Amino acid sequence: MRMWGYWCAGDVLAESALHEHPRTHKDMIGKKGANMKNLRISLCVGAILVFGVGCAPKTNAPPTPGHPATGGAKYQILVAPKGLTHSFWLTVKSGADAAAKEVNAEIIWKGPAQETDIAGQIAIIEDYINKKVDAIVLAACDSKGLIPTIKKAVDARILVITIDSGVESDLPMSFIATDNIAAAGKAADALANMIGNKGEVACIPFVAGAATSIMREKGFKDQLKKHAGVRLVATQYSQSDVATAMSVTEDILTAHPKLSGIFAANEPGAIGAAQALKGRGLSGKVKVVGFDAAANEVDALKRGTLHALIVQDPFKMGYTGVKSAVDAIHGKQIEKRIDTGVYVVTKENLSDPEIQKLIAPPKQ
Amino acid sequence: MRDKGLHQVRFSTLGPYFRKAASFASLILIALALSIFVPRFRTLENLLTIALQVSVISILSIGMVMIIISGGIDLSVGSVLALAGVATSMLLSHYRGIEIAVVLGIVVGGVCGCTNGVLTAKGKLPPFIATLGMMGIARGVALIVTDGVPIFGLLTAFSFWGGGRVLGIPFPVILTLLLAIIGHVLMTNTPFGRYTYAVGSNYEAVRLSGVNVDRHLIKIYTVAGLLFGLAGTVLTSRLSTGQPTAGTGYELDVIAACVIGGASLSGGEGAIPGAIVGSLLIGVLRNGCNLLNISAFWQQVAIGALIIIAVFVDQHQKRKGV
Repeated sequence: MRMWGYWCAGDVLAESALHEHPRTHKDMIGKKGANMKNLRISLCVGAILVFGVGCAPKTNAPPTPGHPATGGAKYQILVAPKGLTHSFWLTVKSGADAAAKEVNAEIIWKGPAQETDIAGQIAIIEDYINKKVDAIVLAACDSKGLIPTIKKAVDARILVITIDSGVESDLPMSFIATDNIAAAGKAADALANMIGNKGEVACIPFVAGAATSIMREKGFKDQLKKHAGVRLVATQYSQSDVATAMSVTEDILTAHPKLSGIFAANEPGAIGAAQALKGRGLSGKVKVVGFDAAANEVDALKRGTLHALIVQDPFKMGYTGVKSAVDAIHGKQIEKRIDTGVYVVTKENLSDPEIQKLIAPPKQ
Repeated sequence: MRDKGLHQVRFSTLGPYFRKAASFASLILIALALSIFVPRFRTLENLLTIALQVSVISILSIGMVMIIISGGIDLSVGSVLALAGVATSMLLSHYRGIEIAVVLGIVVGGVCGCTNGVLTAKGKLPPFIATLGMMGIARGVALIVTDGVPIFGLLTAFSFWGGGRVLGIPFPVILTLLLAIIGHVLMTNTPFGRYTYAVGSNYEAVRLSGVNVDRHLIKIYTVAGLLFGLAGTVLTSRLSTGQPTAGTGYELDVIAACVIGGASLSGGEGAIPGAIVGSLLIGVLRNGCNLLNISAFWQQVAIGALIIIAVFVDQHQKRKGV
C-alpha cells in the first residue's frame, strides 16, 4: 500500500531532526566514507518510496463485473477519506460502493494511514489528478491545507465534492456532511439532560485545526451556554488516539474530581474517556456522550460505559457524494451544502430499526 | 565531534551521571513547582496515575536505551508495540488463555527485534534504515491483519495486566520497576552489559578482541524487541482494545526519554535509570500541562526544549572536562 511509503518518508524527516549527527554504527558501514553512506541512505529511502508508488495502481476497487454496456462510459471516481482505520470510513465506503453500483461508476478508495497526515492525502490526490479521474470525492484532512490541491484538480477539469470534512473555499461543487455545529449542540443538550442540568463537564475534541473538530467544539460550547447550571471546566485534545484520550481524561478527573459529564468528539476520544472512567470506577457516575457509532462504541453503550452517541450518517455521505458527483458530471445542478443529519442514540433507542440501520456494521 | 579511539574506550563515564543528575534534579524541581501551584498534583492518586501513564514509554525506553548504548537506534518501536498488541488481542478474542496471549505478544516483539538485529549485524544495514523498514512493515502488518479496525471485547480478566492494582500500586508500574532493576543489573554487572557499552564505544576494538559482535548485536535488538512486545501487551490491556494505530509517534517520546536521561546517540553512553527518569520527566510535564489545562501544543514545545537543554547541559559539562 502506498501510504506506508509517504508515511515512512515523513518520519525520516522527523527522526533525522533528533539525530545529533548520523554516526550510528559508523564502523559497521566500513571505510567507504560519508558519501557512500549518504548514497545508501538515499537509495534506501528512494527504494521505499518507489516500492510504495509502484504499488499505487493496485487500487482496492476492482471493476465490478457483469455491468451491461448500456451506453454512457464508466466513471472513475476517487473517494479519498481522511483515514482508513475508523469504522466510520468503512461505512462511508459502503455508501459510496452502493451509489457506484447504481450509477455505473468505479470507486477508487485511497486515504492516508493517519488522519493527521495532510501531506499524504495531498500526494494521493495529486496522483489521481495526473491519472485524470472523472471526479474526486474528498474528506479533507485539513480545512486549509488541501485548498491548493483542490484548485489543481479543478484546473484540470476534475470535479471535486467534499464530504464529512470540508475546506474553507468555494472550489468544491458541494459539501455533503453532518452539520457538525448543530450535531454537537445536540450532544450538549443530551449531556446536560443526563446530568440534571447542573455540574461540571469537560470537552475532548480530537485534532485542533481539523474543521470537524473545531466545529464540534464550538457547537458543544455554544449550546452549553444555554444550560445555565452546567459549566465547562476543561478542554483537552485526544489527537484521535485512545491512549492519549485516556491520559487526558485521567488528568481532567484529577483536576476536577466533581466532574459529572464528558463530551468526546470522536470514536477514539469516547473509547479512551470511557476506559479512563472504568479504571477509576466511575463508569455511570460520570456521563459520556460520544460521537459516531463504531462497533466498540456501540458495545460500550450496551455495557453502560458510554451513555449517548451522536450518530452521523456516513453511509449517506458516501452514497450522496458519489451520486452527486455523477449528477454533476451529467450537468445537473447540485446543492452547495447538503446536511446528512444526526441521531442521538442511547441504550433505550438502540434497538429501534431506524437506529439499527445506521449502526449495523457494513459488510466488507 | 568526539574521537572514539581505542585509548578512550569508556565503559561508563561521568558524563551520563551528571546529565542523569541534572535530569533528576529538573524532575524534582518541576514536580516541586507543580506541587506548589497545582494542589491536585501532589496527591498520591495523581502520582500513581503519572507512573501508570508513563509505564509503557518506560518499558520501551529500557529496550531503546540498550540499543542506543550499543550505538544503534530503533525507529520501529511504536509499530512493533502496535503489532504485538494486535497479536495479543486477536488471540484473546478467539481463545481464552491470557498467559498464552501475552507470551504471543512478547514473542512477536522478539521476532521483529531479532529481524532488526540480523539486518543490522549480518546484513550490515545501518540501524536507522533497517528499523525504518521494520517501522513500515510492522505497522502495515498490524493494519492488514485487523483490516484497520480496532479489536475489542477482550476478556475482563485481562484488564489486570494493564490496570490492576497490587497493594494499591498499578501492576504496570510494578512491572516497569522490576524490569528496570533487572535491566540495570544486566547492564552494569554482566558481560552482556559490558559488551553493549564497549560495542557502542568502539565496535572495531571489541571485534578485534575476539568477541562475536554480530551475535551480541542480534541479542541486544532481540531483548529490546521482547520488551517492546511486552509494552504492547500492557498498552492493549490498559486500552481494553487492540489498536493497530497505537504507538504512532512513540519513537520520538522514547528516544527523547533516553537522551534526556543521559544516553548519547553516538553510542557507549546511557543508563536504564536515566531513561526511566527521562520518561518520568516527560510524563510529569504532560500531566502538569493537562492539570493546568494548557494546550497540547505547549506541551510539545516544553518537551522539545527539554531535549535541547538536556543535551546542551551534557555537552557543556564535557567541554569543561568534568
